[in-house]
Amino acid sequence: MARKADYKRFEALGIQNLAVSANLTFSQQTFAESLKLPFPLLSDFPDRKVIRAYGVLNDKTMIANRSFFLIDPQGIIRKKWLIENGPTTVVYSDALLRDIEAILGKR
Amino acid sequence: MHAASDGLAPLLKALDLRGYPSGTRPPNFSGDTVDAHQVSLAALRGKVVLVNFWASWCVDCRPEMPALERLHREAGGHGLAVIGINARENAQTVRRYARELDLTFPLVLDPNGAINTLYGVVGVPTTFLIDRDGRAVSLAVGPRDWESRAARALIESLLGDPALRSRTP
Repeated sequence: MARKADYKRFEALGIQNLAVSANLTFSQQTFAESLKLPFPLLSDFPDRKVIRAYGVLNDKTMIANRSFFLIDPQGIIRKKWLIENGPTTVVYSDALLRDIEAILGKR
Repeated sequence: MHAASDGLAPLLKALDLRGYPSGTRPPNFSGDTVDAHQVSLAALRGKVVLVNFWASWCVDCRPEMPALERLHREAGGHGLAVIGINARENAQTVRRYARELDLTFPLVLDPNGAINTLYGVVGVPTTFLIDRDGRAVSLAVGPRDWESRAARALIESLLGDPALRSRTP
């Protein structure tokens, strides 16, 4: 929800938000409609190839550990944020945006 | 879109329902009802299925229930299956609610929220309509008037049976 509320701030920096999860596209459609999300949700079900490739698959729950990756226009990962206690932690956009602005030289 | 090709789009619009791309199939679910019957979506193939996610504490869910009950009673014999899926409450709470509102359509328990998660439900009420071929027709996030002329026309159209015509308000 924080990313929805702050979507324009990411957009202003030229950031395209993409959200990847191990849910079915059907459930993602409900989720996106319920929260009126302005960015795409991508389903990595059933293979979880992307989640594995990024090293964030929780082997017990088979869902992604909560994490964020900043990828530059050349396709290089510039920063990653791995969130401890992901399901119960609120990640405020300010924390991400501060780092992103510093990386982009806008701070 | 399924809705457009079937001429349902105006009805979906009238009810502010989101249609699905053609061929979208909701995942199968199965669970036990509050009176210990097993319900699965797969076993309902051939029927029009209205799946309503609800909770007893949900203020917006309550006014929908009598309407859903009437649909169940009027069109249940014509191929409509109304299924309520509770959100993470215990059987006693669901049983008390059903008794209070005189609900007889199947109320499926989902104590750990597995069915809610499978369907991506993050708020109640949320309601899905599924056609006789098992394809998703529409999604409603939030309450709707399921006894409105548009809702009855939509369900009747999916049934291919004027089951509700004589009772349309």
